[in-house]
Amino acid sequence: MADPSSRQGLILAILGLRKHFGGVQAVNGVDLSVEPGDLRAIIGPNGAGKTTLFNLISGDLRHDTGRIYFGGEEVSGLPPHRLCRRGLGRTFQITSIFRRLSALENVQTAFLSHHRRHYNILLPARRLYRDEALALLERVGLREQAGKPSGILAHGDQRRLELAIALAGAPRLLLLDEPTAGMAPRERHEIMALVARIAGDTGLTVVFTEHDMDVVFAVARRITVLHQGTVLAEGAPAEVRANGDVQRVYLGQPVTA
Amino acid sequence: MPRAGWLGLLVVALAVAPLALPPFFLQLLTEIAIVGLFATAFNLLMGFGGMVSFGHAAYFALGAYAPALLVKRAGLPMLLALPAAPLAAAAGALLFGFFIVRLSHTYFAMLSLAFAQIVFTVIFKWKALTGGDDGLLDVWPPAALKSPAAYYYFTLAVVGLSLLALRLIVDSPFGYALRSVRENPRRARFIGIDVRRHQLVAFVISGAFSGVAGGLFAFYNGSVFPDFAYFTKSFEPLVVALLGGVQSFYGPLAGAFGFKILEWLVSRQWPVYWPLFLGSIVIVVIVVLPYGFVGLAGGRPWRTRPAAKA
Amino acid sequence: MSGLSVGMFLFLVSVGMSLIFGVTRIVNLAHGSFYMVGAYLMVTLVEVLPDRPWAFWVALLLAPLGVAMLGGVIEIGLLRLIYRRDPLMQLILTFGLILVIGTLVLLAWGPDNKSVPRPAALAGSVRVFGQPFPSYYVLVLGLAPLVALALWLVFYRTRWGMLIRAATVDREMLGALGVNVAALYTQVFVFGSALAGLGGALAAPTVAVALGMDGDVLTTAFVVVVIGGLGSFAGSFISALLVGLLQSFGILVFPAVSIVLLFAIMAVVLIVRPWGLLGRPEQ
Repeated sequence: MADPSSRQGLILAILGLRKHFGGVQAVNGVDLSVEPGDLRAIIGPNGAGKTTLFNLISGDLRHDTGRIYFGGEEVSGLPPHRLCRRGLGRTFQITSIFRRLSALENVQTAFLSHHRRHYNILLPARRLYRDEALALLERVGLREQAGKPSGILAHGDQRRLELAIALAGAPRLLLLDEPTAGMAPRERHEIMALVARIAGDTGLTVVFTEHDMDVVFAVARRITVLHQGTVLAEGAPAEVRANGDVQRVYLGQPVTA
Repeated sequence: MPRAGWLGLLVVALAVAPLALPPFFLQLLTEIAIVGLFATAFNLLMGFGGMVSFGHAAYFALGAYAPALLVKRAGLPMLLALPAAPLAAAAGALLFGFFIVRLSHTYFAMLSLAFAQIVFTVIFKWKALTGGDDGLLDVWPPAALKSPAAYYYFTLAVVGLSLLALRLIVDSPFGYALRSVRENPRRARFIGIDVRRHQLVAFVISGAFSGVAGGLFAFYNGSVFPDFAYFTKSFEPLVVALLGGVQSFYGPLAGAFGFKILEWLVSRQWPVYWPLFLGSIVIVVIVVLPYGFVGLAGGRPWRTRPAAKA
Repeated sequence: MSGLSVGMFLFLVSVGMSLIFGVTRIVNLAHGSFYMVGAYLMVTLVEVLPDRPWAFWVALLLAPLGVAMLGGVIEIGLLRLIYRRDPLMQLILTFGLILVIGTLVLLAWGPDNKSVPRPAALAGSVRVFGQPFPSYYVLVLGLAPLVALALWLVFYRTRWGMLIRAATVDREMLGALGVNVAALYTQVFVFGSALAGLGGALAAPTVAVALGMDGDVLTTAFVVVVIGGLGSFAGSFISALLVGLLQSFGILVFPAVSIVLLFAIMAVVLIVRPWGLLGRPEQ
């Protein structure tokens, strides 16, 4: 396992990260390191601090103490739009899209912003990055839905759209917070297979949280287990599966095989 | 008939109006155009940016007073003074907007109202410069523009160009990004948009065009008064946009038309009753409209306009 | 001293406005209009009632009651329909009420300024620290702590007050506990209206009762409420006194900028602590 304090060559390195809300220590000294090209699952029971950790990494929340390095540079305290410019993309546990824009416009807007055209007030935007946006929609399986207001799309399609929005920014690191929340099992596997394919094709690093352990163990290359705001275990899926602490947390007792 | 056809017809109708209509109606049309611009500029914030300002009278008033002062105090001719309208309004919008966009929803509305009251009070109290309650009188355009028909054409041209510019902005990448900020500021941040700065730019643009409306009105009216900045004036574009529909670019224009015609019809018969009438309409519109400003706060899926055909 | 009296009127208006916001989440822009109606009712009542020493005091009681009824009608007839809507729509609706009430007052009382004579017993002046000081202000100042104390007792020592305080914190919970929230909203709105009416009635003998007074008091009360914290009782009290004093002294020291100063302070508060000095941030 890579040491987060030697952050060279790591896409994401986190040292001693802490965040409390009132009296609750949501993230309590997390160390984490992610190598480029990793497909990392962060798992843990409800309240383990997964979403808080994501919000800290992505600049949505300010941490109390600790450091965050992205691509070798310290990014602690940078606001989300700056982090996004540096190549961080993310999706949310609760689908977060531009509901009254068409699916195409959703992705087009992300492209416009990525290419720093978003302060341009002279060109008509309708044709800009249209082909790129359509290609990306095709990739996530939404080509047919491109013209529809995204707010009326089916839930699973909205999740795919959010993925496309995040991908339009050509991120180096993609944080997916429960990307399959609310989906049927079949669709879950589909969408995670898609994520894995895209990651494989582009060399994109993905860190995701997920409740469905089938999905996690099928897709993840490495797994980090959070428990009560700290890292309980980390390793390849097989190691994590065999880890006694993890079994205690999830099952109440180790599985004696 | 295609849209371009209707537009052409409208332009022709507006162009020949002075031949057919008595001066009074030209003045009414002039006022409609000015209010329409004011409400459209306002709606860039409300309809497209999801920001409801309760203090847009401030920028209207800055746009009215700046050229009026240049004419009265510096002796500039109108055509040289008028460009000061958007500049002064934009400067005010930049200064106030810097703080206002830091807040959201109700607090955004309240802070914008507070700043507008400051502008009102300064105008009201600074008698030496602004004339206070007495306003500035004899702010007239040059002789060539003084007739109702001439000023009507002039207003039409300036308003037309301004609307064109606003339309371009709405359809530009900036406009797309602004809509994304309206729909979902958090998501917008995560596609790399600096939400506050984007809102501030929109605020300044909106303020500048409100200032153009104010400047046009100053020379139409021949005088300027502190009332231009009073909070009741701030509700005018709000009500007009609300009546016409905030979801479409041209809604506020239609609203201005309806609003002014109604005002004329009602005030002609019963001048005292106009505020009662207006207030009742506002109340009825709000109570009867099922979802109000659809999705401004609620995020209900709704089609703003025909979606781009893929 | 007169600053403190102004602060008192402001307190009555703004505490009602703050209370209504705290419970119903509606920023009632028509609150200044209620104040104005209170003052105009005072005009009529003092005229209509027989010319006896007690007439003034009866009027002072009846005027707020009249405003309370008006508030009740508005709450039940209009506001109930829009509680679940966009707060900005609610704001605009109460703005519509300003226009309607303003016109109705104009129709009922005419465009001319009115005045209310001070009761004979308080028409003179007393010397305070060697300065002549109108006796009526002494009454207002004497009443101020009484009203504040009464409100405090209502809020902190009655079951109703407890419900109100609970409602400012968590309305859904209150509904879930079986409290009739709709009735509570109406009561609070009526109560807040009565306070504004009382403010107007009390202020009537000290000012010209005129059509513009709704906007004037609204903007100032608005500043008070924002500075003190929307929904905060103590905040309204302190900030009303501050604003009242600032206004009076400001007019003496630097008349031109006192109101600008007021709004500047409000702007600063909104920027630094949008929820006000003693308010509570929204979740």
